[in-house]
This record gives sequence, C-alpha cells and structure tokens, in this order.
Amino acid sequence: MSTQSIPAQPLAARAPGRRRRFGLDLARPSRRHWLGYLLLAPAVLLIALIIVYPLFISLDLSFQNVGIARLDQPRRPFTLANYERLFTSAEFWMACWVTFKLLVIVTGACFVLGLATALLVNNRFRGRSIARLFVALPWAVPEVIAVVIFAWIFDSSFGLMNWLFITLGLTSQTINWFSDPDAAFAVVAITMIWKGYPFVSIMALAGLQSIPEDFYNAAKVDGANAWQRFTNITIPTLMPVLGVTIVLVMLWVFRDFSIIYVLTGGGPLKATQTLSIMTYEQAFGFFKMGYASAVGIVTLVLCVLASLLMVGRRAEAMY
Amino acid sequence: MAGIRIENVRKSYGAVTVLRDFNLDIADGEFVVFVGPSGCGKSTMLKILAGLEEASGGRVLIGERDVTDLAPGDRDIAMVFQNYALYPHLTVARNMGFGLKMRGMDRGEIDRRVKEAAKILAVDHLLDRRPKELSGGQRQRVALGRAIVREPQAFLMDEPLSNLDAKLRVHMRAEISALHKRLGVTTIYVTHDQIEAMTMADRIVIMRDGEIQQIADPDTMFARPENLFVAGFIGSPGMNFLLGNVTADERGARVSLFGQDVSLPVPLAAVPGIAGRPVILGLRPEHIGPAHGPVSFAVRPRLVESLGSEKYIYVDLPHENRGAPADAKGADDERRGDALIARLVDAGAVATGEPITLSFDPARLHVFDADTHRAIR
Repeated sequence: MSTQSIPAQPLAARAPGRRRRFGLDLARPSRRHWLGYLLLAPAVLLIALIIVYPLFISLDLSFQNVGIARLDQPRRPFTLANYERLFTSAEFWMACWVTFKLLVIVTGACFVLGLATALLVNNRFRGRSIARLFVALPWAVPEVIAVVIFAWIFDSSFGLMNWLFITLGLTSQTINWFSDPDAAFAVVAITMIWKGYPFVSIMALAGLQSIPEDFYNAAKVDGANAWQRFTNITIPTLMPVLGVTIVLVMLWVFRDFSIIYVLTGGGPLKATQTLSIMTYEQAFGFFKMGYASAVGIVTLVLCVLASLLMVGRRAEAMY
Repeated sequence: MAGIRIENVRKSYGAVTVLRDFNLDIADGEFVVFVGPSGCGKSTMLKILAGLEEASGGRVLIGERDVTDLAPGDRDIAMVFQNYALYPHLTVARNMGFGLKMRGMDRGEIDRRVKEAAKILAVDHLLDRRPKELSGGQRQRVALGRAIVREPQAFLMDEPLSNLDAKLRVHMRAEISALHKRLGVTTIYVTHDQIEAMTMADRIVIMRDGEIQQIADPDTMFARPENLFVAGFIGSPGMNFLLGNVTADERGARVSLFGQDVSLPVPLAAVPGIAGRPVILGLRPEHIGPAHGPVSFAVRPRLVESLGSEKYIYVDLPHENRGAPADAKGADDERRGDALIARLVDAGAVATGEPITLSFDPARLHVFDADTHRAIR
C-alpha cells in the first residue's frame, strides 16, 4: 500500500494555463446571476434617470405652488392647493369624461375590429399574406403622418369625407369637422381606432395561431357549430393574450398625445381635451407646472388602477 | 353501436396521393387497429372517418347510414386525440360534458353521465380540476371519458398513447382494451407502434404509402405475413431477411443458407416458378434456437445484447446470403442486410466473438419473391 502525501497546492498553481479574469469569474455557477444584474444595470440606470427621477420630481411639484419649475430654486412650502383646485375644476372633470369616452370607444372598437380582422386573416385563402400586410399597415405608419392624412380626409373644404357624404346624399352642405365638438371627437376617435386596431389584430393573430388545431377538431366531432367554437374555444383560449393587449391599448389611449394635439389641439370647446392634453396645456401653455403635475399624478393613479383591474384577473397561466 | 363500412375511399392533395382505394368492413363492436409507418395515410383515413377531412372519392357508412358528406358532429362518433385536446379553461367535468352541452342535453343528464364515466375511468376525484393540474395518464383518461360520455356509435382514437412514457403506455393499453370489452363499442385505433397493434386489436390493418398491405388478426399477421413489408413490420426485433438462389429437384425447392442445403417450405406447384431464381427468406429471431436442430450452423457473434430474460445475438451473414432489400421500412430497427439477429431465451453465457452453435427449423422459413416481395406459399 503506498500512501503518498500530495503537498497542498494553491489551485492556480495546479492549472498553470488558466487565465485570471479581472478577479471576477462570471462563469462560476455561484456567480452566474451576477451577469444578469450586470447586463440589466445600464437599462435600469437609464430608466431611473429619465423616468423614475422625473416621476418623483413631478410628485413633489404637485404639492407645491410652482409656475415654472426650476431645480436650482429652493423648494416651495407644501400645499394641497393644486389638488383642491383640480377636484373642484369643471375642466378637470370634463377632461376625465373625454378620456373615459375615448377609452371606452377606442378600446372597444380596436378590440372588435382587431379581433375580427385577425380571425379573417387567420383563415386560409389566396393572398393571405397581402391581407395580413394591409391589416398591419396602419401600425407601421408614423403617428404624425397618420394624423396629417386624417386631417386632410376630414378637411372641410377639400376633404374626402365631405365629398363622400355629399356624393352619397348624406348631407347637403359641407360639414366643418373640426369646429363641431361632436364631429371633432368622432374624428379623433376614428383616427385613434385606425391607428390602434392593428396592434390588437397582430396580438390576436399570434394568439390564434397558438391554439392547437385539435381543439377545433375535438369540438367539431363534439358537434359544436362555428359560433359555439368561437365562444367556447377561441375567446377563452385567447383571453390571456387579449387581456394584456386591452391593457396596453388602454394605456396607449390614456397617454396618447400627438393624435389629439395635431388634429384638434384639444378643442373645440375642450371637447377633445384628454388628461394628457390638459397636463401639457397647463404645464407648457399656462406654465402652471405644479397644477399640471397634479393632473399627471392623478392620471398615473388612474392608469395603475385600470391596468391592475385588467391584468390581475387574467394573469394566471392557463396551460 | 354500429359497424362501419369504408368503400373505395381515396384521398389526394393535388398530385400527391395519400390514400388509394381503401376498402374495409368493420363489424359491430370490433376493435380494429390501423398501423403503419408515418406518412402511410392511417391518420388521414381516421380523419376522413371523423369528417375532419374530405375524401377525394368513395363512401363511408356507419351503421348502414351514408355519412360521407355529413359534418363531424352529425356522425355520432367520438374521437380521442394524440395530444388529448382538453380545453385548458374548463374543468375536467366540463371538458367531459362539453359534447353533451353542445348537443343541448339538460344539465342533470350531463352530470349523471359525466359522473358515471368518471367512475369507470377512476377520475371521479378530479372532476373539479383543470387539465394543467393533471398528470399525463389522468389527462388521457379524461380524454377517454369525454369520448365515452357521448355513448357514440364508434370510437376513433388517433395515437392516444404516444405522449405517455413507456410504463404508463403498457398500463393504459390494457385499460383501453378492458374498456372496449366492457362497453363493446366499435373502435378504430391508429398507431405506429406494432406492439400496440398486436396487443389490442381484433384485426390489424397494415398500411404503407396509402395502400393496405394486409388485413388480419394479430396471430395470422405474425405467422403468415403476405409480403416482405408486413413481415418486417410485425415483430420485435424484426424478421431477418436472407437472400438465396433456388435450386429445384423432384423433392422440392432448395437454397443454400450458412453453407448448408435447406429445403424450402413451399408447395410443389410453386417450385417451377422460382426455380433458378433468387428468393428472399424470412426467419424470425425467436425461431432461431441455441444448440443443434434441423439446420445447425456454428458462428461467432458480432455483438451480444442481454435483456436479462433473453439475449439478442448479432451474427454476420455469409456473403452468399447477403443483399436482401431492407424493405421493412418503419420497422423498429434499421435493418442491415449483412446481419442476422437471434433471440435466445435462457441461453446461458454467450460472449462476443466466442463460437456458438445456432439452429432453426426450415419449416419456419418465410419465402418471398425477390421481385414482387409477395409471400410464396
């Protein structure tokens, strides 16, 4: 029996070819998660800098009576005046109502239109790829360009819509789309729906393609007709996707600024002034940044509540 | 319950023909298995029976009723799918009752039938769960339950066990057979696994490239394969194929195998047709025995695989017997034309490279025409 004692050597000395990596070896199993943090760090820093920090600034501003906010000025005294003024102002409630109307109409229409087009282009037919392209097209058009197109379509003198209405005999004289509150609201809603439905369509199409064909085959063998298959299989299995999509569309309607601002600027008679337009107007039109911050904070709270309501219910995995 | 008749059913996708003239009469209460390698058309035939695919020609009758152009829901059949097709958003009870609900049956009756079926399949404690909370075997049972609550004329099963692990598959195989005996409903079962086919079927339909190769009960299928493909497909390990040149004399046909003169089990009438020509001889691994027998030959095994209860011995074929076409496509193992496998039970110690004597009975040889690949009997 030979018992040879091996002299205790440091690990590095036993593996002479090994390179030292800055003293931080990320390949070691115990340190593998460090890489994740390292890769995330730049994004987290950036978000903290341009989103989280301003968020806290505006939260702070909303409790001060500030005109033009300047970081080099000393902090003004704490006050609830902005919120008091906000909740007693008719303009704020009007903006809430406009936002709510847009939210319901645009989200609802996007949902119906998006799902319908997705179902349509999910079928097998000649020219399906072209049809899919056309369905997704509005999504690819930059928002401002879409708005300019619609501004021309609804132009009171040269617009396509007036020509169509007169040709079809729906009206005898030109409609001034942007000076009538109801008409202006309709134009804003239509533009937003046109711009927003492809997103629902793309998401729904992706969802539809992940439904196993055998679900439908089994239902057919069980005697379910097309409508029963739609309500019993398509809708329930799509719900997780649709739930998230609806939340995203809602948040988009909440925050969208360019469509309304370029089309109507919030007018006429504030008929299209949503909370985001109001925030902008108060901050950069009237330079009441404390008050504008209060509007922004209320909008944020509403957004968070709305998404919690929608996501919370459907978040659990189905499979 | 009813019998099923399939008359001249064809199916092609453009220029590609996947089914040619399929004819089959299935008796009431029979368990028929369609088996064949992938792409042989067995699943297509099942889908045509279910009404999920349209046939390019021919007729399908279920219980004397022509259902060729009826919607799947109007055929009064139930189907079990390979991936179970259980709806993830419904509980087990509602999954099982789905078909009845679609037919507008009242809730009390649905509940009664679901409970009864659940009890038969031993899933009655799972009725309130969702499919994602079930194991593979439980899902399989629920899928079967969904079929039996309907009390249909026939069950169609499309590879229902292929998503289960090997042990569970053996268990569920026995359960499905028992269920069939208990309910007595006509069943058509599709699989690519010849063991499932052999163990479960009353009759097996072997298919290849859209054509039926043979229809027979499992024992006949094993003992009297009609062609080379069937011979190679049924059995595990698959049949050994050897090439031999026939010499004929007044006693019958003879070939040289392992250097020995072996008389072939073919009737005298068939001898003139094959005299002087090559034939393919089939010999099942289990028909080769250790020690001396009617035809014995000494070999050195190239490889010995022990399964505990039995041993697979791989032996090099003599050059004169090599070259039989590897026609047994879809068989369990990729057969090579230069080796023979013997399956020995209680053979004692056999080592690779050590000499051993093997033997077989020439009466066990299957003789196939080298050109047509049909059995010569």
